[in-house]
Amino acid sequence: MNVIEINQLTKYYGKHRGIENVSFSVEKGEIFGFIGPNGAGKSTTIRALLSLIYPTSGTATIFGKDCIKYGKEIRKDIGYLPSEVFYYENMKVIEVLKYSASFYDDVDMSRIQTLSQTMDLDLNKRIDDLSYGNKKKVGIVQGLLHEPKLIILDEPTGGLDPLMQQKFFDLIRIENEKGATVLFSSHILTEVQKLCRRVAIIKDGSIVKVENLQDMRQHNYKKFTIEFENVVDPAAFGFEGITSLTQEETTLHFLYKGDINKVINRLQGKVLRNMLVEEPTLEEIFMHYYQKEN
Amino acid sequence: MNILKQELKMGRKSLIVWCVSLIGVFLLFMLMYVSISDQLAEFQKVFDSFPVEFRRAFAAENLNLDTVMGFYPFAMTYILLAGAVQAMNLGVSVLSSEVREKTGDFLFVKPVSRFRIVSMKMMAVFVQIVIINAVFFIASRLILEMISTADYDNNLYLLLTGTLFFIQIFFASFGFFISAFLRRIKTVLPISMGVVFLFYIIFLLNETLKDVKLGYISPFDYFALAAISKTMSYDSVYLVVWTFLVFLFVYLTFYLFAKKDLPSI
Repeated sequence: MNVIEINQLTKYYGKHRGIENVSFSVEKGEIFGFIGPNGAGKSTTIRALLSLIYPTSGTATIFGKDCIKYGKEIRKDIGYLPSEVFYYENMKVIEVLKYSASFYDDVDMSRIQTLSQTMDLDLNKRIDDLSYGNKKKVGIVQGLLHEPKLIILDEPTGGLDPLMQQKFFDLIRIENEKGATVLFSSHILTEVQKLCRRVAIIKDGSIVKVENLQDMRQHNYKKFTIEFENVVDPAAFGFEGITSLTQEETTLHFLYKGDINKVINRLQGKVLRNMLVEEPTLEEIFMHYYQKEN
Repeated sequence: MNILKQELKMGRKSLIVWCVSLIGVFLLFMLMYVSISDQLAEFQKVFDSFPVEFRRAFAAENLNLDTVMGFYPFAMTYILLAGAVQAMNLGVSVLSSEVREKTGDFLFVKPVSRFRIVSMKMMAVFVQIVIINAVFFIASRLILEMISTADYDNNLYLLLTGTLFFIQIFFASFGFFISAFLRRIKTVLPISMGVVFLFYIIFLLNETLKDVKLGYISPFDYFALAAISKTMSYDSVYLVVWTFLVFLFVYLTFYLFAKKDLPSI
């Protein structure tokens, strides 16, 4: 069963494009990554899911119900952590959390204590005395407090130090094991890599690809670094399957997808100093998706 | 109810400041009356010697210093102006603050409908206006009792003081509408001051022009204190217009806000 189903979702702000024909679905119980550079449309998609904005066309359903029509009902089971968190400045942390809890039925209030202990958050501080990272922690506790069935994270790790990021990821994993579905938007691939099995890649408002991370990394691409004795003509490697080809003096860098023997054949008769064949990082594959579009 | 409670809690300090200021301004005017009361006849002459346009522009055309109720509208004029600014501030900021303070991403992802959020916030403004009016009624009554040497017309007192409530409700609802209509409001006070004084200038202009149509534009005309003092009642046509406009603004606020995109941070 799909928890999120987005179908041809389009949003224009006047003439300005937000997203165009975005379609993908998130299965129940998975941690789904949503990656793309800033301004690609990640937040627009998420804000439409939460009915903070109204789509120009297309539909999105959560738990099988239309996002706009049944927004109020659906939001009972959603926990949302925005990229930048802002709360009522004159309130104390505990007051914000209690106010947040007051919107939901049957909230286990002891979770305030346990979650804030895990995230090392002082409940008695005023919001305007908190640093950016600490505000983020309030956001995390606030988003997870009511044990949501769907957790939507929009660039959640900004401002958190690596230790806190780790604790945060652990929390997300625990919620996920308890059955929560997670939509994780980010432009940092390594963190998506840590958590997600599947990702949707968005660029300039459109989904470029929805892919299995394992497939993406292991079965498709190899990253070649070849250092030759002399300067070679990179045109010799301009065949199909080769992308992101760059040359630095006598060294060639490229990504390759396809039959490995083709590359080996091209190397015949050439004198090499060194050669590296690696798994590309997601970052590099990612860049490749963007370049291909251009 | 949690939203209502939250709004009232957040507006508490500002409400207290406004209450104190209104009473302070009122007290100042009434003390002025006391200090000139032994030379009233001379002051009356001075006022009467001003050209009528000038007196109208100060909303003091029919200033009658013989009784405290003759002076009362003069003080009330400034209370109405301040009250209008306060109510408009409340109206404009109650919805727009979620966008300005960027807390919209907190409130609007909660399982509540926009209709409920808007109605609870309107309710909070209404409660605050009721409170400020109740406080002002009590305070003005006490001050009048203290300074007036003779009896005054109680009906007229109630009618004149009641205009504050009607003016405030009008400007609050107009504020709601503006905040739903504009995409993003950076600062509230210039808008409130601008709108209130614009309407007040139209009112003053019409005091001189006496144009019936122009009278419908400014709410200050609906509850013109001089007219109320003369007729001892509110104008029923203006009351109908007032009711219609308040309902229209509230309706449009719900309508526009239901479809509004919340700008991202």
